[in-house]
Amino acid sequence: MALLLTLTLLLPLAGGVFISCFGERVAKPIPVVVSCAAVIASFLTCLGAFSAAGEGLRVVLFSWLKSGSFQADVGLHFDPLAAIMALMVTGVASLIHLYAAGYMHDDPDQSRFFALLNLFVFAMLAIVLADNLLLMFLGWEGVGFCSYGLIGFWYRKTENANAGRKAFIVTRIGDLFFTVAVLWLFKLFGTLSIETINARAGELGLVTVTILGLLLLLGACGKSAQLPLMTWLADAMAGPTPVSALIHAATMVTAGVYLLSRLFPLVSLSPVAMGAIAIVGVVTALYAASCAVGQREIKRVLAYSTMSQVGYMFMAVGVGSVSAAMFHLLTHAFFKSLLFMGAGCIINLAGHENDIHLMGGMRKRSKPVFLLFMAGLICLAGFPLSGGFFSKDQILATAFAHGDPFHLAIYAVGILTAAITSFYSFRLAYLVFAGDYRGEEQGHAPSGLMIWPLVPLALFGLAGGLINLPHLFGGHSWLADWLGQGEEEFHLSVHSEYLLIATAIAVFLIGLILAHLRYRRFREPAERVVGRFLLSGWYFDGLYERILVRPFLYLCRFVWVGGEQGVVEGIVYGFGRTFTHWGKLLRLMTNGRISTYLQGFVWGLLVIIGWFLLRSVA
Amino acid sequence: MNAATPFQFPLLSLMLWLPVLGAVLCLVCYKKPDLPRWVALITTALVFLLSLVAISAEPAASGWRLLEDCSWIPSLGIRYSLGMDGISLLLVILTTFLQLVAIVISWRQDKFPVLFFPLLLILETGIIGVFIALDLVLFYLFWELMLIPMFFLIGVWGHEKRIQAAVKFFFFTLTGSLCLLIAVISLYLLHGQQTGDYSFALDALKQTDLTATQELIFYLCFMAAFAVKVPIFPFHSWLPDAHAEAPVAGTVDLAGLLLKTGVYGMIRFAFPLFPHAAEKSLPVLAVLGIIGLFYAAWIANLQRDIKRIVAYSSISHLGLVLIGLAAWNQIAWEGSMLLMINHGITTAAVFIAIALFHRRTGTRDIEKLGGLWQSQPNLSAFFLLFCMASLGLPGLANFAGEILILIGTFTSHSAWAILAVGGVLFSALYTLRMVQGTIWGPSCEPFERQDLLASEWLVLIPLAILVVVLGCYPQPLLEVLRDPVSLLLQGGHP
Amino acid sequence: MIVPMGHLLILATILFLLGLACVIAWRNLIMILIGIEVMLNAVCLTLVGASAYWQRIDGQIMVIFMMAMTSAEVSISLAMVVYLQRRKNSIDIRDFDEMRG
Repeated sequence: MALLLTLTLLLPLAGGVFISCFGERVAKPIPVVVSCAAVIASFLTCLGAFSAAGEGLRVVLFSWLKSGSFQADVGLHFDPLAAIMALMVTGVASLIHLYAAGYMHDDPDQSRFFALLNLFVFAMLAIVLADNLLLMFLGWEGVGFCSYGLIGFWYRKTENANAGRKAFIVTRIGDLFFTVAVLWLFKLFGTLSIETINARAGELGLVTVTILGLLLLLGACGKSAQLPLMTWLADAMAGPTPVSALIHAATMVTAGVYLLSRLFPLVSLSPVAMGAIAIVGVVTALYAASCAVGQREIKRVLAYSTMSQVGYMFMAVGVGSVSAAMFHLLTHAFFKSLLFMGAGCIINLAGHENDIHLMGGMRKRSKPVFLLFMAGLICLAGFPLSGGFFSKDQILATAFAHGDPFHLAIYAVGILTAAITSFYSFRLAYLVFAGDYRGEEQGHAPSGLMIWPLVPLALFGLAGGLINLPHLFGGHSWLADWLGQGEEEFHLSVHSEYLLIATAIAVFLIGLILAHLRYRRFREPAERVVGRFLLSGWYFDGLYERILVRPFLYLCRFVWVGGEQGVVEGIVYGFGRTFTHWGKLLRLMTNGRISTYLQGFVWGLLVIIGWFLLRSVA
Repeated sequence: MNAATPFQFPLLSLMLWLPVLGAVLCLVCYKKPDLPRWVALITTALVFLLSLVAISAEPAASGWRLLEDCSWIPSLGIRYSLGMDGISLLLVILTTFLQLVAIVISWRQDKFPVLFFPLLLILETGIIGVFIALDLVLFYLFWELMLIPMFFLIGVWGHEKRIQAAVKFFFFTLTGSLCLLIAVISLYLLHGQQTGDYSFALDALKQTDLTATQELIFYLCFMAAFAVKVPIFPFHSWLPDAHAEAPVAGTVDLAGLLLKTGVYGMIRFAFPLFPHAAEKSLPVLAVLGIIGLFYAAWIANLQRDIKRIVAYSSISHLGLVLIGLAAWNQIAWEGSMLLMINHGITTAAVFIAIALFHRRTGTRDIEKLGGLWQSQPNLSAFFLLFCMASLGLPGLANFAGEILILIGTFTSHSAWAILAVGGVLFSALYTLRMVQGTIWGPSCEPFERQDLLASEWLVLIPLAILVVVLGCYPQPLLEVLRDPVSLLLQGGHP
Repeated sequence: MIVPMGHLLILATILFLLGLACVIAWRNLIMILIGIEVMLNAVCLTLVGASAYWQRIDGQIMVIFMMAMTSAEVSISLAMVVYLQRRKNSIDIRDFDEMRG
């Protein structure tokens, strides 16, 4: 088991290292094959090790850093939470690798792509499996780097490279807080082991826990694109579609949720931190859903919807249900990667056109893509009995079950967001599939390799509810039991559960009907203030540009021109100039004429004689 | 100092003087322009092997792994005394390794190779000497010996504004060194008057009784020399010029080694000799370190010359090292030592990659460069790896040192560590800007795909392996550092 | 001695100062050379006087040496003056100040 677990982590690393070293030097299909094989093998080993997760499995490979009282091992901890997450990561990654093999088939830089993709899977698994926070941080930064490299994969366009850099830096701002939290936790506990920290979290004072919780929240916000660090995700869509599906939908953006779930025993001690998490989640969910309504590019719609759904997961953690968060994380991973890969197929069908206003009629171009994409969309919209329906409902029900005004408000905003979600999902569906084709591009059909991996995802997405089917529907809440969270669940009366489900179905229908009324026939939307406001993501980019980027550049310029060139170099060169000036003055005395020198000699002589005369007189 | 063994193989002396011998040989065979580089290569390779042999020496109870001590100028009490503990060992290996790299990478140096290679070899002697000298006069000699070859390397083989840079470098370091000289002589006289034993030995001078004021003045004089070399803000302004104008071998030595001599001088001489003054100065050092960390990072963000960006990044990283020293505990110090070594390797590697870009494109201007991945995929990949190591990506070299410094600092001085964490963000900003301007974006000349030369592979591969290995498994280094660091923290060797 | 030593020294001093003033004030190279000769002769006069005063022959030997040396010096310097005259067509010392700092 230990070997299998180790292999799970190391196989993608080995694949990535092999491809980055030799990918350019071997025949063309080899990098692709190696990469897919590594991830699939990793999935299988993970599956093999899965049974060991129940009682928890620890593997310490070697001691990474050991100094004084500080020790960080490269150690893995395989518990139910890690197991379910690792299984999802490797599973989804396998399918996406297969899809990418089709999608990137003609790209000359394939080997760089697959090397980074494999390294990404490794880094993500490091986050998931790490038994201490430092190794988790390794994965945390590692996914950031791979995401950076993959967003800017088509580097010749400056916008792509800029988007990659933006993602790296914005997430790194979040990482600062995470780092401080890690340092502080070490100071408090003398160890970074996640188990120990969770076990001893109760020893801490309320203020400490609250600050730690908020620091972790900010760290999670960066990676998971939550307010206020969310601006990078929409731009990250510049990357190739499989990257968006893997990194910016299924795995990396949910790392923040995973972090909070992992340290839930610590975070949950502080009501303030929990409230903050819930607020961040629900506000982001609402914000991103509203932005998704205004987007024109298919992938940006999905990006904002991802942000919004991750907001739901934060909300779930914030209202105290890790199992609900993980449940939504899983179903979302399935249907959102399905949606992204479907979007990749649609973009191909539309001849590399991203704008949904220039699409339409895609249903006629490819039936399978239509069916698969719709499967994803109804999950997203919360179609009754689909996976997304159950998971979202569980989050809302948990919020509702608290019963106090704060949580009811959160519930209300959540429900409103659900309505908007349903609306923009069907807006997307109508614009892309209904009516006739509005563009001029000649599309080409996606290859089989791009279609087949979507099928299992669609099945998992639609049937995902089964893994945590509530008792009301005859299920046993398997996921909650597995995560050992069963006892924490709030029990609502049957009556209110029915009420909640009815509400959920109602908002789904409202969204559907509104979208039907507005988008059944395509009308070129008028340019409006609201539209532009939503399209630009509430102008947050411009705001940050004004209040952060530009002042920072002014600061740099001030330090450089004023501080370095003005003061520091000024003093240095000032010294130089002073001495040069004196030297020039002294130089006047040596004018090259003997008579001048002799005069000096005579004067000097006179002074000396005079001195002696005066002395003898005195 | 025990001279228990009657005959000890003089490994340290051999390592120290072999480069000088090589330099003489180079000069002897001046008629054949190819011979000097071979002589230099063989010499540095031998020295590198010798330094690896030195690993096998087990540390004695006193902490020293190797010691050599004999009388040199008895009338003045100057002894020829060399000693190597774990810190020196690692720094010497770093020196010999980087020197080897520097020789290989400047293989095609066609401008006066007869002088270029001997100067590099003499520089190597100077640096090794600084890392192992235990007698203050000897230390001072080697300290100055580093200066002269470096001056000529920058001034003769540098880029456009080389003369100005060389002179600036010379004056800065010389001013600092003169303060050091004055302090050394005064300390010697004072100690002689007190005890009647006129000696320049480090251990003897530690016993001198000093009033608080005297101690502070001596400490400041010592620090003047070391602060210029490190460099500590605000004595850094020689560094960007010198780094930017020096030839590639000079830059490798400057960034990789010379800066470390400053830190080494502090921990080996300034702190143990004047412990009370040092203790009082720690907050000042930390503040200067933090200022340097931010200040240099902000300036780096606006530079157009990529060599200057990396030069400022060195100032920034050394600021972090300084914060680690100021935290004054085991974890932070081990982190600082580790970061010094890792920074030596990564920065040297980045500079080498930049030099190779420069050879191919003819420019270092970030506005003119771009999209080099297209024509130089291999070199760009190395460059990306080194840059990521430099910005502190976990699993690569610099991170191990940085995180230890942060952890160590946080346990004793949380506020400093929190500020330092902020500084780490800015290193990402300028590094990514540099990466962006160099290898991403629209392509610049040359457009055809070019592969690396064999000699370039030979240099880049070991560097890349080191960058990864030191990031993933720095444990052996930390083992070597543990005892010497704890001895130094307790006030030096017994 | 017929002449008192004091008078002799005063004369020599006056001669020396005249020569010095000549060297400092004149811009003509020839005149400067003459000034130098005058100064040398003042020194010679002192040496001869001192030799007579102390009844020692050394001073006079020295003076004979100096006469020989001065003649050599004059011939060389005059040759150089000719050379300089050819080079810049001038013997004004203001034209020969290339050695300034």
